Amino acid sequence: MTTIPLTYPLTLGAILFGLVLYGALTQRNAIRILMCVELMLNAVNINLVAFAATLREAAAAGQIFALFVMTVAAAEVALALAIILILARRESHIDIERVHLLRW
Amino acid sequence: MDATRIAFIVLAAVAVVSAFRVVTAPKIMHAALWLGFTFMLVAGVFVTLGAEFLAAAQVLVYVGAVTTIILFGIMLSQAAEVRSRDPLQRERLEGAAFWRRGVLPVLATVAFVAIMVTVYMRVPWPAPPGGVIDTVRLIGSALFTTYVIPFELAAVLLLIALVGAIVLAVRDDNKEEQGS
Repeated sequence: MTTIPLTYPLTLGAILFGLVLYGALTQRNAIRILMCVELMLNAVNINLVAFAATLREAAAAGQIFALFVMTVAAAEVALALAIILILARRESHIDIERVHLLRW
Repeated sequence: MDATRIAFIVLAAVAVVSAFRVVTAPKIMHAALWLGFTFMLVAGVFVTLGAEFLAAAQVLVYVGAVTTIILFGIMLSQAAEVRSRDPLQRERLEGAAFWRRGVLPVLATVAFVAIMVTVYMRVPWPAPPGGVIDTVRLIGSALFTTYVIPFELAAVLLLIALVGAIVLAVRDDNKEEQGS
């Protein structure tokens, strides 16, 4: 199916995930954090597809799992943006350091 | 070094750079455009890994829908820092915030990547099988036989998310004035 060694895509997934993990932990803009979370899910999908490409008996399972991750990501981005829009309307900013709603 | 591997390395390198720009671009709008570009590159990576159907789904769902929704979200939210430069780039971190938002993320990220890459390098992975198989046909038949219940549940999940997003986003002026 492919001639790429498994370590290449796995390393790419780890580096991408690390980069956006750093972004999600340091940024204060809610929309940018949402972008970072979306890219995290994408980095995980790279891993799933890589395993599906190498372990042939799991080809269908790996890709279908990646497909479900995509579904959940699409649902998540719609809800998250609705919440961010409410936040922007109420507080007139989307700086999560200054938000005191939804906190324990 | 065959063509697929070179294509993969090029796509991966550009994807890492553009993901870095998503995190660091000073304007949020530019970050959103870099995000769309990164999604396209990940779709290319999927093609080199032999997942054509997922590459198409990635372009449709992520580039077509998610990036567009995020751009709409940026343009619709009237908050000042959404559209102007991020005020968060130049701020000085002091006290607890220095540890929480300056040191800890770097440590967590570096530790995560180091551990994962070390593990990946040490495990004796099976060699790539080579050859071509029809993954689209494989996914199609598996999705409607073995995975038919998760598939239907995913449809319900999307419907619930759609309704929930509408309910949340509908402007309710009366309620907002009462502060609830």
